[in-house]
Amino acid sequence: MNPELINQLKTQLGANGLPYTIPIHPNLVHLTLGLFIIGIAFDIIGALFSLQKPIFKFLAITATRSNFFDVGWYNTLASAIITFFTVAAGFYEMMLAEPPTEVKSAWGLQAMETMLWHGVGGVFLLALIVGMAIWRGFQRYIWCKDYSQQVQLSYLLSGLFIMFLMFIHGTLGAQLATEFGVHNTADMLLRLGENPNLVLK
Amino acid sequence: MLEFLPSLNNHNLPYPDTIHPIVVHFVIAMVLFAFLCDVIGYFTRNQRLFEVSWWNMFFATISIFIAIIFGQFEAGLAEPYDASQSVLNLHTLLGWSLSAIIAAITAWRYVIRSRTSQKISIYYLAAGLFLTVLVGIQVYFGDKLVWVYGLHTVPVIEAMKEGLL
Repeated sequence: MNPELINQLKTQLGANGLPYTIPIHPNLVHLTLGLFIIGIAFDIIGALFSLQKPIFKFLAITATRSNFFDVGWYNTLASAIITFFTVAAGFYEMMLAEPPTEVKSAWGLQAMETMLWHGVGGVFLLALIVGMAIWRGFQRYIWCKDYSQQVQLSYLLSGLFIMFLMFIHGTLGAQLATEFGVHNTADMLLRLGENPNLVLK
Repeated sequence: MLEFLPSLNNHNLPYPDTIHPIVVHFVIAMVLFAFLCDVIGYFTRNQRLFEVSWWNMFFATISIFIAIIFGQFEAGLAEPYDASQSVLNLHTLLGWSLSAIIAAITAWRYVIRSRTSQKISIYYLAAGLFLTVLVGIQVYFGDKLVWVYGLHTVPVIEAMKEGLL
């Protein structure tokens, strides 16, 4: 974003370029990723239940197949709901980002390219997660309601593919944080020539 | 011995990015979601949600140890500068404590579930709230290490190597 535009908010922003010390978006990302990946993982456990049955029996844990599909459904649903907030917080913080222009990431991208890919990719991922939750709902309540196997193989494979996209997407986000130092207090102090060890004491 | 280890990159890591913050996605999401399911389940008497909560706690218990292993490894390579040290100590202490607390609460849950899977007590719910608060504090410490002190970020590692930090 244009630095002069960001300056309109200057009085409210701290050393990290945000009106608060810790960015919100990366924290919501924990929930988006954690819930989605676990959701798909539980559905996979449910689908392969006969393989794990002896393990649960050995651990003396009662487990029924439908339990795992319950967890798969609720976790994916929760991920879809929370991700709207993840994306919203991400855009807010990206609009206030002032990354260095001379740095290139490990993937050879500049800050602006990385931010554009991460921003647009985030909207697509939101759409994919919401689509998966809707697909999962149809399987649970309409198509596979009366089957013990509640999920389709194509759903599980799509889930794994989305996880791969999340890995690439997450790496771009991590590069913004740890290579460009976006909204990172110590990194921004260093860029200003100050010593975080003294300033943050 | 040391020459057999892979050399460290500009994040001071033998692999591209930190892994601990990725593994903690699962612990954070599962513990918080388990508590949410317990609360909703407690008031709506939906026992399905109790199952969801239990399985999330079960796998959170496994995940936290993986998180600690990577956390210890990466903390060892972080070379924390003086200002960041006290937060890193607190994060380490609370992290290990959480492993014990989560394991204990999951064990309690296991007992509740084997006796009566239809309901949970208000005391268990209170323990869940306590755990949620502790996880929140732990996330705050971890966030401070990354976002305020910038451990394992390229500019901080550079400054360290140049002797500025």
